[in-house]
Amino acid sequence: MSDAQNPEPELGEAIAEMGAETLYWCMQCGLCTGGCPWRLTDGDINKEFNARKLQHQGQLGLEGYESDNNLFACTTCGLCVARCPRDVNAIDNIRSIRMMLAEGGTVPQSYRPIVGSLTDNGNPWMETRDKRTAWIKDLDVPTYTEDTEYLLYVCCTSCYDARSQKIARAVATLLNKAGVSWGIIGEEESCCGESIRKIGQEELFTTLAEGNIELFKSKGVKKIITTSPHCLYTFANEYPELGGEFEVQHYTQLLAALIRDGKLKMDKDLDLTVAFHDPCYLGRHCDIYQDPREVLAALPGTRVMEMTRNRESSICCGGGGGRVWMETPPGERFGDLRVNDALAHDASVLVTTCPYCTIMMEASVLGLDKDEEIAVKDVAELLVDALA
Amino acid sequence: MSQSKATLVVGGGMSGISTALELSELGRPVILVEKSPFIGGKVATFNKYFPKLCPPTCGLEINYKRLRKAANLSLHTQAQVTKVDGGPGDYTVTIEVAPRYVNHKCTACGECAEACGSERDDDFNQGMAKTKAIYLAGHMAYPHRYVLDKEACDEADLPKIKDACKYGAVDLDETPQTLTEQVGAIVWATGWESYDVSKVDYLGKGELPDVITNLQMERLADPSGPTGGKILRPSDGKEVESVAFVQCAGSRDINHLPYCSGICCLASLKQICYVREAAPNAKVYMFHIDVRAGKYEEFYAKIQADEAVEIIKGKVASIFPEGEGLRLQVENIESGESLKVDLDMIVLATGIVPNTADLPFEATMDDYGFLMLGDAPGIIPAGCVRRPADVATVVQDATGAAMRTLTQE
Repeated sequence: MSDAQNPEPELGEAIAEMGAETLYWCMQCGLCTGGCPWRLTDGDINKEFNARKLQHQGQLGLEGYESDNNLFACTTCGLCVARCPRDVNAIDNIRSIRMMLAEGGTVPQSYRPIVGSLTDNGNPWMETRDKRTAWIKDLDVPTYTEDTEYLLYVCCTSCYDARSQKIARAVATLLNKAGVSWGIIGEEESCCGESIRKIGQEELFTTLAEGNIELFKSKGVKKIITTSPHCLYTFANEYPELGGEFEVQHYTQLLAALIRDGKLKMDKDLDLTVAFHDPCYLGRHCDIYQDPREVLAALPGTRVMEMTRNRESSICCGGGGGRVWMETPPGERFGDLRVNDALAHDASVLVTTCPYCTIMMEASVLGLDKDEEIAVKDVAELLVDALA
Repeated sequence: MSQSKATLVVGGGMSGISTALELSELGRPVILVEKSPFIGGKVATFNKYFPKLCPPTCGLEINYKRLRKAANLSLHTQAQVTKVDGGPGDYTVTIEVAPRYVNHKCTACGECAEACGSERDDDFNQGMAKTKAIYLAGHMAYPHRYVLDKEACDEADLPKIKDACKYGAVDLDETPQTLTEQVGAIVWATGWESYDVSKVDYLGKGELPDVITNLQMERLADPSGPTGGKILRPSDGKEVESVAFVQCAGSRDINHLPYCSGICCLASLKQICYVREAAPNAKVYMFHIDVRAGKYEEFYAKIQADEAVEIIKGKVASIFPEGEGLRLQVENIESGESLKVDLDMIVLATGIVPNTADLPFEATMDDYGFLMLGDAPGIIPAGCVRRPADVATVVQDATGAAMRTLTQE
């Protein structure tokens, strides 16, 4: 065989030491590869990316997986992790292989400006810090003080991306309406670092996280509401190791409680059929399935459809694991699968509650030329639409 | 234990029957208790079994003949042990017996079923057929006496059933009975159930009619089964042209059954033979993590050599409807190829789950929920409730359990 390589067990052990604790648990059954959402697409990435083989190469210390379409294809959706018969964490394993590459100075082309922007400006969207609060516009947004109950941590995407800013405004409007004690910190905040960690930039993640932890502590923050499930995940699961212990919840969790207590009521009949897309980081990663559904159930005249793949079996939008910053060719986008599934359920709105999912699925709506049939909205936006 | 004290054997499957017969033939009194209306357990539903791949009918017939001749053996069907007090040598047990509504005068002529319009799901045929509300479970049913499923029976059918019996065997006034017995030893042989495939979301959640379990395959292949031994697709009765066997359907998986049941690989290899005989033109696949054939490695080699059978290493990752059939997604681990395979029928090789619900005693269990021989109260587990095993092993286990009761004297 022309591509024969000599195994380098030390390399595999080095990967394992970087956090791929379960790398050697893998028994090579292929369930991860067979069930991977890339199998539902037809293109180069489907042909190249194989989580089982990638981890096998990692175990043996073999190389040859470094391409964007292979090592950097994993969206960290967690479907394979949830199903793995041996409890192998393919996300940690792949992240560790990416780390190994990053430490050697290899960063995929698409990620170089992102890494630069995060290093310089604390956000991945190549904008300056002082524009972090540009989403507010004419809205009444309180500043977080020691007397405030909740810090609203707005995802960088909803701080800077024009479309996504509407989500931040909708969440803020709802919090005001329900009389919640909340506030933001603003330009001193940095990106939560969740996605940059997934592409192997461990040091950058630590810098961002430690900066935020210090900032939150200095302001006396105890409780955090996030607009994005990605920030939620890292605050709840990765910040504690770095000394950041906060009570974190996704805004749909708080809204569900407020609706239950009668503090938030939507009166306007929207007469809509919507399909709910479970974001991977809210569902599989944080085990939150019921709260967004409960919130949607409070919308008058709204029929909420469950898509074919839902809850624990939900399919990724394609934006996790850094893929939101990498181009995916038309025809290979997971968002297309979600949009088509929603259309098959006669939904006129594909509703979700993650800024990445919104971006990815909206791109698919346009790519599929379906913008006259279906819109993509965040749960918060629908709620604001239904306020009398 | 005094010689006159009986041994209670709970469970009338292969383990319980064997234990009861061993003891009875040693001259010991035995009480055999079975939850369902007929004994024979899972084995009675099998088309063929190892080692000779013969139908279990003759083996069961021999056992039933031994049972008929057994002195000092009392059999209670539709009976459950609800209370156990005491310890080895001196137990007091409570047995609740549900009414059969058919007494010893029954000749199994079947006139009652003819007269009955009501039907029930045929559990003997794994839900793939219906029986009348008054029925026998299979042609080998033992006791060979009808039973009435009163809940499934229309009120209006009751007098018709009663009148149809010219022997006066239908007794609609039968009531539940509670028995209290003194016994010296207890053997617990309540057997197993197949793993509930609805818990495996990527294998069809139990919602696709043409995705069946290995237990259903036994009934499809049986000449006395619902299809007369033809392997037909449940959804539309089409004769199968392609079948896949999916191994470890929930087994060796920390999310489901962490252990290997040890019998499913051979069950599938055996069932591949059923398909090859009944539908010789059908293409057959087997997908596995690895094939554990144990002492039957040569049998496995024989199946591997069959060109109509493709054995592929790879854990099946999804099953979904495609056209009128099914599609399966899997990675062929050896080639690294992602495969989509279109099929008429998929057989899930599900594993063994011990029947340990509502135990009337403090049980000692292993990590996987199988019963162990505990210190107290000295109850002796036997068969598949103790560990997953094939029929031959279970029979040996039953002998062991019978011997162990003697040590408790």
